[in-house]
Amino acid sequence: MEDKIKETIDYLKKKKVDYADLRHQKTNVEDIKVKNGNVEALSRRDDQGFGVRVIANGAWGFAASSICTQAEMKRVARQAIQIAQASALTKKENVKLSETEVHQGKYESQYSMDPFGVPIDKKIGLLLNACEIMIKNQKIKVAEGSMEFFKTDKIFASTEGALIKQSILESGAGITATAVDGAEAQRRSYPNSHRGDYASRGYEFVEEMNLLENAERIREEAVQLLSAEPLPEMETTIIISGNQMALQVHESCGHPTELDRVLGTEISLAGGSFLSLDKLNKLRYGSEKVTITADATLAGGLGSFGYDDEGIKAQRVDLVKNGLFVGYQTSRETALVLNQKSNGTMRADGWNRIPLIRMTNINLEPGEWELEDLIKDTKSGLFLDMNKSWSIDDKRLNFQFGVEACWEIKDGKKGKMFKNAIYTGITPEFWNNCDAVCNRRHWHIWGVPNCGKGEPMQIMRVAHGTSPTRFRNIKVGVSK
Amino acid sequence: MIGKEKILNTLDSILKKSKADQAEAVYLGGESGLTRFANSTIHQNVFEVNSRVYFRAALGKKIGVAVTNSFTKNDLKKALSDAIEIARNQKENPYFPGLPAKSKVLNPNTYFKKTAEFTPIQRAEEVKKIFDQAKVHNLTVAGSFSTGEAEIAVVNTFGVACYQPLTSSFINIVVMGDNSSGYADCLSRDVDDIKVDQLTQIAIQKCLDSKDPKGLEPGEYDVVLEPSAVAALLEWMNYIGFGSKPFQEGTSFLSNRIGQKIMGENVTIYDDGNDQTAIAFPFDFEGVPKQKVTLIEKGVAKGVVYDSISAHKDKVKSTGHALTPDSADGALALNIFVQAGGASLDKMIGSVERGLLITRFHYINGLLDTTNALLTGMTRDGTFWIENGKVKHGVKNLRFTESMLKAFSNVAQISQDRKIINSWWGDVGCVVAPAMLVKNFKFTGKTEF
Repeated sequence: MEDKIKETIDYLKKKKVDYADLRHQKTNVEDIKVKNGNVEALSRRDDQGFGVRVIANGAWGFAASSICTQAEMKRVARQAIQIAQASALTKKENVKLSETEVHQGKYESQYSMDPFGVPIDKKIGLLLNACEIMIKNQKIKVAEGSMEFFKTDKIFASTEGALIKQSILESGAGITATAVDGAEAQRRSYPNSHRGDYASRGYEFVEEMNLLENAERIREEAVQLLSAEPLPEMETTIIISGNQMALQVHESCGHPTELDRVLGTEISLAGGSFLSLDKLNKLRYGSEKVTITADATLAGGLGSFGYDDEGIKAQRVDLVKNGLFVGYQTSRETALVLNQKSNGTMRADGWNRIPLIRMTNINLEPGEWELEDLIKDTKSGLFLDMNKSWSIDDKRLNFQFGVEACWEIKDGKKGKMFKNAIYTGITPEFWNNCDAVCNRRHWHIWGVPNCGKGEPMQIMRVAHGTSPTRFRNIKVGVSK
Repeated sequence: MIGKEKILNTLDSILKKSKADQAEAVYLGGESGLTRFANSTIHQNVFEVNSRVYFRAALGKKIGVAVTNSFTKNDLKKALSDAIEIARNQKENPYFPGLPAKSKVLNPNTYFKKTAEFTPIQRAEEVKKIFDQAKVHNLTVAGSFSTGEAEIAVVNTFGVACYQPLTSSFINIVVMGDNSSGYADCLSRDVDDIKVDQLTQIAIQKCLDSKDPKGLEPGEYDVVLEPSAVAALLEWMNYIGFGSKPFQEGTSFLSNRIGQKIMGENVTIYDDGNDQTAIAFPFDFEGVPKQKVTLIEKGVAKGVVYDSISAHKDKVKSTGHALTPDSADGALALNIFVQAGGASLDKMIGSVERGLLITRFHYINGLLDTTNALLTGMTRDGTFWIENGKVKHGVKNLRFTESMLKAFSNVAQISQDRKIINSWWGDVGCVVAPAMLVKNFKFTGKTEF
């Protein structure tokens, strides 16, 4: 494969394109879903192909094919050039890329246990055992669990001389209990909602989750929620759990700091960003407690890699420093707007898609609080746990999140439960109301396997390191 | 494009040698291009050739699925062998009724040569017209224009051998001003249906009319929802309620409510994959012919759509709404229609004393309280204040949080004209939606633009 790729790159050089790269990608996926004692889905998917991205006549073109022969690679290369020529019909200026160090490198994610080598019945058995525990209460109508594993091998080569090989293994799992009583349905999940938690690790990550040890707790909490009161409307102090903070960071900091969105290139689908260029190094995004980083170098994160899909080495950069908005996630093309070099966040979800600026591991850096002390320190408020629904406007300002469970905090103690809890706010106002972040002991990198962006749609796996965090004067319970 | 004969013969020959008790192959493949633009220039322009073959093998009631994107015989054989191996290590699925038998499938016209042959140059030329028209008003444009052709086939060891070629074309246009935007789109199997000039004018006018939008406090307002806004609500209602899975699990707003009146008498919603006025597709991913399914009839909950496994659970027949074999999401309605009314958009606006005209919604989510069909989302790209029957000015975007059972019980008028709206499920379906006047629609938040 490497020889075919090199020959195609040479072919593109002879065609005198301004720039070209070729990315070959092979992905193996295993997907297991069990429900109420039955295996609902068990599948394996093998997928491979390549994509050629060129700048010709000063404009972009991209073509991709699943047929990996030398002849097809050259045909696709020619097609990418023709597409670039079509793009050039409307160009205002030539596409330029920021300078970069050209790498010839290799990266392999670390793991102890290859999940594809673990017997299927062992994996199914763990999920079925968790379901058996969850279904024991007759109010539980649905007890379900899932596992998902990805192995991706990529080769990236460019006309600048880059040649990079990467092999990344990712694992995820989770369980959910749904309690139903008449027209009321409530659910609790572990370790996270929407199919659980994910990491760039092996099966050891699943074994460390302690799914069985948490099945009974979420079963009982789901049933308790059926008879809980809906959260009334009020303005109050909230402590948000680490897993919900992951989605808060994702939607209200991760997406708006993508520089392609800021420059308007995602308007047609997901929208733009309130973090316009004039706000850089000026806007007080949050309180002094808020420091947010983009860190693709973290071990085990779902947004960890060696090089992005433009061949830029993985980096750690500040997005928000002690509350001040200081940085964007960038690509080679967009970084030029800031007279910078790319900070390496371009990724495609497959061989047949162009890379876009995608979140890496976007982290709210840990603070100093123990969670127990933070709850004790809260006279009146709420503890909100685990995402249930999410929505945010097309500039990432007005958001509304729903959570699976909510507990009252009164005089420093967690009390009664509320159901259907939501909270809402305007992004910078919200983050400026942050007054406490829990410490590294409570900090975890949560994997988010389903971040959508782009046309055609791309689903990317990203992550967020977060810990429980407290916010003052937040509007909650406005759904009724 | 590989062609009917080669796809069916290849898959049939692979399945015939299968050691499974029953086996099925689903082929999805094709070629598609998409030209994306922003700031009135083409910034992404892509094309792909791809295929995917799903094998489902059954050993008794044990089912395994394997998927490959290679169409070579060796890779196909390996994928089928993997599916059998997975089935061997599986637990029995007591609800598996066996693979479907052969049925008569309709043969709608879903393929248009001109769409299939539409080139990147032609897309770029059309897009340039949009830029030029917007430039006259000092406005910029973002959007995308896609065209493509595909083939879908289902073959199984009981003689099912369905094949359908298709084309699709879709354009969306967002015209941007300093503090406003306007939107228009068109979905069709025939690229000739995409009238770029007309669509551009609609988007430009919306952008101009919503210039300098005024803030509005959240609260309950009468709203005129354009078809795109109605369709976005229905996409989520489908996901949380019209399929067999949430219905059987008790989380659907239709669960335990069949036969009950849950919406207004003027609301009828159905699924019809054979209606050639929209994005027809005649069979599902098990090769079962699409049945017309009434979901809501005159406000009364009537039923949901099924695949063969979920149908067996409820002791009914599949309605032809199975998804691909690797999915555990059960059945989904892919061709949703809201029955037309007798009103016009102008008449609706004219009858509103104080209210809002909404072009479309953004980022809806319906997972908070599914049994009450509680949705939240934002307005986008053209929200207007109506007073004394006239559109007065643009309004800054608002967040709604509302039960669709309440909203669809408060529908005062439905338009006669309906529009085909693109949906999550792309090539094989759409939502056909009218405009609707809904009384007392609840907004719970606002934003700064």
